[in-house]
Amino acid sequence: MNQGKSERAVGYALIGFERLVTQDRVNAYADASGDHNPIHLDEAYAAATQFGTRIAHGMLSLALVTEMLAIEFPNTWHSGGKLKVRFTAPIIPGESVTTYGEITAIDEIHDGKRILRVATCIVGCKKPDGTDAVSGRATVPLE
Amino acid sequence: MASPLISTAVVGHEFGPYDVTIPVERARAYAAAIGGDESPDYGNHLAPVMVVAAALTELINELGLFSGGLQAVHAGQEVSWERRIEIGEKVDASGRLVSNSVRRGNHFATIAVSYTDAGRTEVGTSSTTIIVTGEQSQ
Repeated sequence: MNQGKSERAVGYALIGFERLVTQDRVNAYADASGDHNPIHLDEAYAAATQFGTRIAHGMLSLALVTEMLAIEFPNTWHSGGKLKVRFTAPIIPGESVTTYGEITAIDEIHDGKRILRVATCIVGCKKPDGTDAVSGRATVPLE
Repeated sequence: MASPLISTAVVGHEFGPYDVTIPVERARAYAAAIGGDESPDYGNHLAPVMVVAAALTELINELGLFSGGLQAVHAGQEVSWERRIEIGEKVDASGRLVSNSVRRGNHFATIAVSYTDAGRTEVGTSSTTIIVTGEQSQ
């Protein structure tokens, strides 16, 4: 069971969410990012690629992970957060994916002026078959 | 036909600076793509990863990653961010090729990017690793 946000400790499970990644979302992401590569948008083009169909932008799956971090750490993720991930499988439009995360360490770091508590989290986004679309590690200052 | 830049660029090659200022209509498109009932209210601020995505698009285009039969896979991404960015705030992205090796006919390339605000203060960094396949990249 999750503890309150003010009581985060090692083992705390971040509150993930499920998202249906529709082609409409992929199209919107193309407009947002400016990346209109046909592998994301053109089924005929994508059919001839190694994936055989359109795939979501890798950065879209990463954006879902960072959305979870922004929900969980609203005051610090955008100001001092760090993330390192690998993209391990593409998301196919029509798939529902689920974000996840867990605090694996909390360290005290001296920044020269004060002591910061920084959480290290494993984070990722799973496909319907349980495989990771993206996985990695984030570090976020705690309030 | 000229080779795409990914085939010829050497470590140290510099990219940009690109203007990755995000206007409101693109911020709205991002919300439509990513958002849900549980999404936080960003107000007039952006998710930093959106700025990173805009820079990545510029890099993809400049490297010619989807030209001439090439296929690119986004293999890894690092992001760090120092402060919130407002919608419409001027941000420039400057990249540098930090590795570009060829193994079994595939390019493995990593590009590091620094993001600066109007005052030339760094507000974030990123590092993108891509794998490129295709005859012209060999």
